[in-house]
Amino acid sequence: MTLLARAGLFLVLLGLWEAVGRASNPLLAVPPSAVLPALRDLLLLRSYPDLPANVLLTVREIAMAYALAVVAGLACGFALGFNRLIGRAWGPMIAALYAVPAVVWYPSLMLFFGLDAASKIAFGFLLGFFPVTLAVLAGIRQVNPHLVTVARAYGAGPLTVFGRVMVPAMLFTLVAGLRTALALAVIGVIVGEILGSKRGIGALINHAYGLLRTADYVALVLVTLVLVVGSDVGASLAERRARTWSES
Amino acid sequence: MQIVSVAAALAVWEGAARAGWVDPLFVPAPSAVGAAFRTIGGAALAALGDTLGKAAIAYAFAVVLGVAAGLVVGSVRLLRDVLNPFVIALYGLPKILVLPWIVLLLGYGTAPAIFYGTIHGLFPVMVLVVGAVRDVDRTLVTVARSYGATTWQLYWKVLLPAIVPSVLAGMRLGIVFCLLGVLVVEMFAGVRGMGYVMSSLANGFRAPELFAATGLVSAASIAIVLALDHVNERLSHWRG
Repeated sequence: MTLLARAGLFLVLLGLWEAVGRASNPLLAVPPSAVLPALRDLLLLRSYPDLPANVLLTVREIAMAYALAVVAGLACGFALGFNRLIGRAWGPMIAALYAVPAVVWYPSLMLFFGLDAASKIAFGFLLGFFPVTLAVLAGIRQVNPHLVTVARAYGAGPLTVFGRVMVPAMLFTLVAGLRTALALAVIGVIVGEILGSKRGIGALINHAYGLLRTADYVALVLVTLVLVVGSDVGASLAERRARTWSES
Repeated sequence: MQIVSVAAALAVWEGAARAGWVDPLFVPAPSAVGAAFRTIGGAALAALGDTLGKAAIAYAFAVVLGVAAGLVVGSVRLLRDVLNPFVIALYGLPKILVLPWIVLLLGYGTAPAIFYGTIHGLFPVMVLVVGAVRDVDRTLVTVARSYGATTWQLYWKVLLPAIVPSVLAGMRLGIVFCLLGVLVVEMFAGVRGMGYVMSSLANGFRAPELFAATGLVSAASIAIVLALDHVNERLSHWRG
């Protein structure tokens, strides 16, 4: 019933879009019937023959940004979480930085790293880094100290305590943080590309928008959405697998 | 301790810049950034005021619309079941993808910034409010109904007070999102405001001024969030 209503609502919205799109300026509003041919041309590489290369570049930027964010976030989170002194000194500052809209850093990153891939990787990294660090900090706080004490009393070394007690106990929080970080790294790279780039899917979107090729623009946005949603579906599958592993 | 570590970081930074380990074209010394505050001072404050004004309007829209829509969607079961996945999807998707289209429709300047800031701030508020309304104790609603409360009274006297903590949490989250949205539009298609100032300073390779401007926006944002936290705390005292 609700599924039916959802599908109905979706169709109504599509119909509305079609009606409004046909009635208004074709440069500004493209109805779905105009998007489909544009999407076909796009996917058959007629309108943008360099689409695969640009998508690949964007995917590589995202992968790089995410990998760096995970490594640095884990390192930073554990350093802050295990070391009381550093944690107390820098913890509140990280929380304060979280209150700043991240895009304020983007012009500086563009100045450092130029218009190419590096500034997008840096921005994706910046957005992904905080959720990982904060998830590690929250996870460490969740570990029941009694478990650690008991494991120590039975003669477990620091590595065993870490691998067998702490990681399983904080896994839920950690994995959720890693998923958020991926979503934000994707957004960071795309925002970076749209705010200024020469290559990548965002550059194509800007190109289509700048030439008022609105149907191509919408088709490119749809392709990007597939990328965004696909990465999140992958992350949620990984999250589920990690949960079943930690429960078994 | 915090002050000491910040001071140490600043000293290392200043030393590195003075000793020429980093290129001052890209990483200016803190003293140069401090001096840059004076050169951009007045203009930057005016731009900051412009940005904050737009963000405030967007924020007002986002909170009012988000709470109203959240109340309606959260309290009507059919609407909630049907619409909630859409709302959550819209919250999560990168809104920057529709920004070029918004600029096509609304042009350059203030209107797209307010619109984009509003849709940025709207969804976090709405998602929290929908969840809070769903989780309101059913007994409260049943008791109010059995004492003959009208629908209007139910919303105004029962549901709204019950969700105040979530609304406040949403407001705290929303302000950063609104500011972010306004800044993004100013960077993408701005003619005024802090986002425009920062991106033109970056394009002009004026690193000290850019750092000063970035610091100014960050400080303003942190101050606003801290002030909201303060209000929050006062209100929760008052609620008991």
